Amino acid sequence: MSGAQLPANLSAETVREISEQREEPEWLLEARLDALDALETLDLPDVIQTPGRRWTNLEALDFETLVDPLEQVDETERTADEGVEVLTFTEALDAHPDVVESAFGSTIDPQENYLTALSAALFTTGTVVYVPEGVDAEDVTIRAEMNSRSLFSHTLVVTEESASVTILESIESGADVEGSRYFSNLVEIDAGENSYVQYGSLQNLNEDTYSYSLKRADVGTYATVNWIEGNLGSRLTRSDVESELNGDAAETKIVGAFFGHDDQHFDVNARVWHNAEHTTADLVTRGVLDDEARSVYEGVQDVGRDAWDTNSYQRENTLMLSDESEADASPKLIIQNHDTEASHSATVGQVDQEDLFYMISRSIPPQRARNMLVEGFFVPVLEEIEVEEFRDDLEALIAARLQ
Amino acid sequence: MSSEQDHLKETDTEARFDFKKEESSAFQTDKGLTEETVRVISEDKDEPEWMLNRRLRALKQFQKMPMPTDWPGQPDLSEVDIAEIVPYIRPDVDVRAGVDDWTELPDEIKDTFDKLGIPEAEKNALSGVGAQYESEVVYQNMQERWEEKGVIFMNMDKAVQEHPDIVREYFMTKCVPPSDNKFAALHGAVWSGGSFVYVPEDVTVEMPVQAYFRMNSEGMGQFEHTLIVAEDGAEVHYIEGCSAPKYSAFNLHSGGVEVFVGEDAHVQYSTVQNWSKNTYNLNTKRAIVEAGGRMEWISGSMGSKATMLYPSTVLKGPGASDNHITIAFAGEGQNIDTGAKVYHNAPNTKSTIESKSISKDGGRTNYRGLVHIADGASDSSTSVECDALMFDNESTSDTMPYMEINESKVDVAHEATVGKIGDEDVFYLQSRGLDDDDAKQMIVSGFIEPITEELPIEYAVELNRLVELEMEGSLG
Repeated sequence: MSGAQLPANLSAETVREISEQREEPEWLLEARLDALDALETLDLPDVIQTPGRRWTNLEALDFETLVDPLEQVDETERTADEGVEVLTFTEALDAHPDVVESAFGSTIDPQENYLTALSAALFTTGTVVYVPEGVDAEDVTIRAEMNSRSLFSHTLVVTEESASVTILESIESGADVEGSRYFSNLVEIDAGENSYVQYGSLQNLNEDTYSYSLKRADVGTYATVNWIEGNLGSRLTRSDVESELNGDAAETKIVGAFFGHDDQHFDVNARVWHNAEHTTADLVTRGVLDDEARSVYEGVQDVGRDAWDTNSYQRENTLMLSDESEADASPKLIIQNHDTEASHSATVGQVDQEDLFYMISRSIPPQRARNMLVEGFFVPVLEEIEVEEFRDDLEALIAARLQ
Repeated sequence: MSSEQDHLKETDTEARFDFKKEESSAFQTDKGLTEETVRVISEDKDEPEWMLNRRLRALKQFQKMPMPTDWPGQPDLSEVDIAEIVPYIRPDVDVRAGVDDWTELPDEIKDTFDKLGIPEAEKNALSGVGAQYESEVVYQNMQERWEEKGVIFMNMDKAVQEHPDIVREYFMTKCVPPSDNKFAALHGAVWSGGSFVYVPEDVTVEMPVQAYFRMNSEGMGQFEHTLIVAEDGAEVHYIEGCSAPKYSAFNLHSGGVEVFVGEDAHVQYSTVQNWSKNTYNLNTKRAIVEAGGRMEWISGSMGSKATMLYPSTVLKGPGASDNHITIAFAGEGQNIDTGAKVYHNAPNTKSTIESKSISKDGGRTNYRGLVHIADGASDSSTSVECDALMFDNESTSDTMPYMEINESKVDVAHEATVGKIGDEDVFYLQSRGLDDDDAKQMIVSGFIEPITEELPIEYAVELNRLVELEMEGSLG
């Protein structure tokens, strides 16, 4: 961080050791070392500030105690249909060295901010999903368990022309570790011409864990990338899901759900850049807050000068179940081409009192009625999920939280 | 439409605003800002010690605070060098506190306001008028019947002398302290002129009072201060108009507005700003509303090179309400960054914000707004609606709302749309015999109608005229 000292447990030696253990090629070691060097000058990701208030306090993250770079342990299960390769990052370096080299860092610059650089320097796990031309793959699942104090992960998805894939990635906490923990995940998607990706992500880490994830797609001509981002766990989550619509007629949906309780803090962000003609984006986020939980949301629809014939929509709805909770939202439009149809809306409120009254009048107990309405509130998100397992999991987690 | 309005329509609006007068002043400070400058201004006004001390404190704040540069997408203020500004120019008039008869003014100044149509408007539609030229109010008058009811409408400098108790209590203390932002601090140090409006309990001032601010000299800064105190149950509508001729060097306008809305009182504050396109317009406007009171901000931002203006309302008492209506029009080289701020600090408070913006020929508009609902402000509601029209792909239209909701029993809704003029709408109007330009002008007039209908007819016509002027000859 500009001005701040590097945590004592981070050094070029550590990074070399991680890279050597994994027998990585020289270019990757160099990229890691460059990212490490850059830490001194990089800033934390931007956080919204209003007069007298900072919406998320990332400065308080103490990487000295949160990060134990040489003791990263995870247990990850990867399954896939035939015809599509789902490899660990290390396996992929052997099997498809060129694909990995060209995709790594192509949508997320490792030196974008302090947290991405830390992640690039230290990641020890990750997955590469490579879908060759014309191949359709369904229900790729990547289920990870974090068994150490800190874990850094890097995921690449590459779809060639007219390929398609649906993916579920989940992360949860495994073995107990005393004290606070840190999880970091960078996901890069390179969607080739006329390809289709649905990338679902479910984060249910334990509530001692601080988590950072940045997911970004480079969406090519006629391609579609749909994100589904589910956040239930962690003490504090900073999640950025972003699509760059770089090819003509590219499309994206960014669908998010979160459900916070106790003193959880969710900083969730959805952003789209319309950089080409005839592109379409739809951003939908639904969140529920109970107890003292707090949510911070930023949605950005950025329409560039050359993005003729753009359609861009954004909706964010937050339901507050408790008076102690707080919901902050900032849906932004940045429009530089008039040939655009863009809108956004955001609402915050309680469970609809009339709906509740109606259900109680039909002799449903109040608590149950409220829970049914909350479950119903998430339906627009659940409906988007194509991986059945993912939908079941998310539904079950929501139901469990309501108990 | 009456013949008078036709007459207004036919006048050449551009000429009406852009004429320049010889710069002639009785007294002016040097460029720049030092403690000496502040003392000189205070001395020239023969101010009491406490006001000088407030100015000096504000100056210290100003020197301490950094220029705001880290707002996402904010206008570029690097050209705004306070050292290049003449903060205080006292025009050459005989009566310091403002005459109450236009004919007593020097011809140059009288002619200025005649061209702007102020005396004409006073006769027809206003309860009182104040007119500021450079740093001083040169004309101030109110109909006698309001005076009899105890309404005060006077120039701010005079109020410091004649109503020190009220001014001392309210002036940049609890509403807009100089520490609020760098330009509020600057304002606190060098303020001059402006209006003081006091409406006693249960008095309704039926016709609006108006103040008009004119900058004539190149490279000057105008820093008028407006303080409105509406006691419980009082009602008043205040209108502010602004203009200046265009120069090559920049001008700075940094006004301060403080409004105190008593219980069940109602204040409407309307602004039609048409500063020349070399003016930086950086204002701080804020209202504090007690229980059951209502504040309305109506703002039309047409002129200036860069505007940063976010009228704020603090809903302090239960049942207080706020209404913001904002229209921004940015043409070539203009960056209009405007919006609204509302703090809901009590239960049952309500706010509605309606923003309309138009950008064309490389202009940029931005809606930047904040709605904060505090813990305990239950059963409050807010609704924010932003609509933007764009004419081309050289222009920019941004919308950046912020919502901070600390209370669950609330109803919060925000909506925004951005788009171009509908081809079908234009086609329809053309099929009814309008040409392309007229059709688009008509659509724009309709787009801003929610604003114009809130203004007295003279101003509504004026605003429409300004919009037409902006649109003329450059429609694509």
